[in-house]
Amino acid sequence: MIEIQDFLRTLATNSGFWNPLIWGIIIFIALLIAYIIRGRGKKEYKKQTEQTKVFLSGNPELEKEEMHVKASNVYWGFMESFKWLYNGLEKMHTGNVSDYILWFVIILGIFFIILGVI
Amino acid sequence: MLELEQIIRTVMIIILSTVALAFFGIFFGLIYKGIDRKISAHMQGRIGPPLRQPFRDVGKLFTKENIIPENAVPWVFNLAPLIGLVGTISILLYLPIGGFQPLASVEGEIIFGDLILILYLLMIPSLALVIGGFASGSPYATVGAQREMATMIAYEFPLAIIIITVAWKLGSFAAGGLGVENAFTLTAITANPIWNAVGPLGLIGLILLLIVLIVVTPAELSKIPFDAPEAETEIGGGLLVEYSGRNLAMFYLTDAVKTVVMASIIVALFFPYNLSPLFGLESYPAYIIDFTFFLIKILIIIIFSVTLIRVAVARLKIDQIVYTYWVPLTLIALVGLICIMWDGTMMESYGWPKIAELLGFI
Repeated sequence: MIEIQDFLRTLATNSGFWNPLIWGIIIFIALLIAYIIRGRGKKEYKKQTEQTKVFLSGNPELEKEEMHVKASNVYWGFMESFKWLYNGLEKMHTGNVSDYILWFVIILGIFFIILGVI
Repeated sequence: MLELEQIIRTVMIIILSTVALAFFGIFFGLIYKGIDRKISAHMQGRIGPPLRQPFRDVGKLFTKENIIPENAVPWVFNLAPLIGLVGTISILLYLPIGGFQPLASVEGEIIFGDLILILYLLMIPSLALVIGGFASGSPYATVGAQREMATMIAYEFPLAIIIITVAWKLGSFAAGGLGVENAFTLTAITANPIWNAVGPLGLIGLILLLIVLIVVTPAELSKIPFDAPEAETEIGGGLLVEYSGRNLAMFYLTDAVKTVVMASIIVALFFPYNLSPLFGLESYPAYIIDFTFFLIKILIIIIFSVTLIRVAVARLKIDQIVYTYWVPLTLIALVGLICIMWDGTMMESYGWPKIAELLGFI
């Protein structure tokens, strides 16, 4: 049978600690406080009116498919700022197995040179 | 082995401190928001709103309609602001606030969480914003949420380097480390100020890490120049565009509490000093003076990392944000890490002294 003391034990690695149960208590109390604070606010609004329409700075609302923002857009910042890197990498990815093996041999050669020198 | 009485006592302390710290975080978060607005207004040659304006803003939002857009997923849309505030409040329990030990490490013997846990918890408010943005069903909010995700991925890298470096310096037995037990816990970090452990090279390294952490802070808080996820002028508020009334007020409070949290982390890592030992004070006078000193430290950090930066610099584009964090700031953080590593080697091999020893502090 699990003792209550074991149940409350902090999970520890050699350097990390975390006690899920204590965090659970904190979250529960904090949720209660936040819920009470939120409850002080007004909850009504006018359903099915202009105010529930999506805000598009006055532009007309198109079909949902046409307004959809692609998930790949998340990476736009990375693709744009590291264009110089991706352009080089894209050229390397030819899809040719011979090229793949060639890269494998080159990298293996570099490793051997490094290991040999060290 | 924990006794039942001790468990009940611990749980009671946790419950009471959660309530106390929630109100501390919200109250002082809003006060600091007011001070930030006042100072930035003066820097721009304006009078600015009164210090209590953030309280009025929250009050006003509570009287406004809480509109749920027809395209939104209502329960996620309503839950996200709550999760954001709750997650942020929970971090306060693991931080040393006002010169006291973290409240979630009662009596210093039992440890309930450490710096790695705080790193994870810091993601909750940002993720709440992202989830809320996606649940809004608006293209502007979706773009904002995607930008917030990209920003998070970008700043976590230098932030992790800083945290690991500080804990490694304290915990390592090799290369000038202090060999402190449980180096990732805030109790250990505040008890062994990092500045006392370094020589000349390490001092340069620490200054570099502090600069990087100060630049990471505005991104954590979605403040200019890293506020592309909200960017009022191009995506009309981004992930908050569809939020109004009490839900928006919850995000407003989350932002206020998170400002205190981020400043407290910087205080704990780099400025854990108290005034009471200097004056030989004990008990309540010591608590009062340490708490006041803590509030002043928080204020100074907020002025440097939020107010000054946001007034002085214009908003960056999302690709510029990613580049800033992944290239210059990560490189600066790595240089800081290497300086601290070599500093230990110099101490061991050539007997370089610690700065604190030279100044007679230790």
